[in-house]
Amino acid sequence: MKRFPITRGSIVAWTLAPCLFAAGLPVGLAQSSAGEVPRLADGHPDLSGTWDNGSGIEFVRPRQEGASICISGCGPAAGAPPAGAPRRAGPPPVPDRPKYREEFQARVAALDASQVRDDPVLRCFPPGVPRIGPPDKIVQRVGEVAFLYDDVSGNFFRVVPTDGRAHAENVEPGFLGHAVGRWEEDTLVVEAINFNGDTWLTDDGSFHTENLRVVERLSRDADTLTWHATVYDPDVLAEPWALRPRTAVLTDVEVAEAPPCIERDIDHMVDDSSHDNPR
Amino acid sequence: MAYKTCARVSLAGCLIVALSQASAHHSVAGQFDRTKRVSLTGVITKVDWINPHTYLHLTVSDGSGSATTWQLESLPTAMLRKAGITSEMLMGDGATVTVDAIRARDGTENLGWLLRIDYPDGHYYQLAGE
Repeated sequence: MKRFPITRGSIVAWTLAPCLFAAGLPVGLAQSSAGEVPRLADGHPDLSGTWDNGSGIEFVRPRQEGASICISGCGPAAGAPPAGAPRRAGPPPVPDRPKYREEFQARVAALDASQVRDDPVLRCFPPGVPRIGPPDKIVQRVGEVAFLYDDVSGNFFRVVPTDGRAHAENVEPGFLGHAVGRWEEDTLVVEAINFNGDTWLTDDGSFHTENLRVVERLSRDADTLTWHATVYDPDVLAEPWALRPRTAVLTDVEVAEAPPCIERDIDHMVDDSSHDNPR
Repeated sequence: MAYKTCARVSLAGCLIVALSQASAHHSVAGQFDRTKRVSLTGVITKVDWINPHTYLHLTVSDGSGSATTWQLESLPTAMLRKAGITSEMLMGDGATVTVDAIRARDGTENLGWLLRIDYPDGHYYQLAGE
């Protein structure tokens, strides 16, 4: 069994964070008050903060009853959520999926059937964009935004310039691509290109090419962050794929160093049963 | 796919499947058999605080001097941490605990998917549906 512990990336990511703060970024959460959206000196909304997106599980709501904690299978009993628990709950989201050109649909179906064997994420590879979802933490200053991620595959970061510069050239293609940002009124628009071809868009065989382009739109309303991504890959997709918007809420539970991702399960799978993943 | 399945099986089973979906990892149903539930009494001797899934080591004594250690797979670290659960809390100061789990489908002895831990002072951690 192959094992791909992601440790170097973790070190880099969590070494970067304090450096960003040292460079003059605001320290602490950008808590809003009275529903107001905080703004930086340039007048743009300050998206800084630690954002709880429920680890992508908008329908699971941890609940605390005294010293007991229930994460799933909790039953109907009432109780208060533990500190930092997602504040949303509801039915499982229906997966939304990209639509492929006809000639590629069989390949997607084949990869879907072999997800247990072929999904890079199951081997602890980075999930890529947009599969990684909204950032778990945003650190913003004038002209630059940093996204930090607390993912099961490890800690990841993206530094997004918002000072009008173009995409860098001669940059090695990556799992998370190369991103630049701009403001459209109060919405941060992040465009990422220069991806390698080693990630899937979803967990059901939704492969992409190196010509993938992803546009993410982030906006803030008081203590809620809305993230909406659109995927463009005309080489294989029949049309751009606009993901269902996702929301995250400010939390006091700080992101933390992710332990190494060490896959132990695949050798124990008795069949290729897989699942649709909300993210 | 799984959501279609959810319409045909129990809600509890769906929760297991759904939770595995949310953890962005493999299907629990492909590795563990929810019809083969086991209740164990022992001491949590170690927690592997790793991703994509944590593992608890539960040592179960048979009363005749021999012991068996179970490896019990559970949720990703971030999910536990965000719910307020740490590895130290799971250890429970070495107290004897009761654990509900489901067995591995491939026949691996002493391997299971953790559902719930009950501690002697009455508190519990319910981590997955039955």
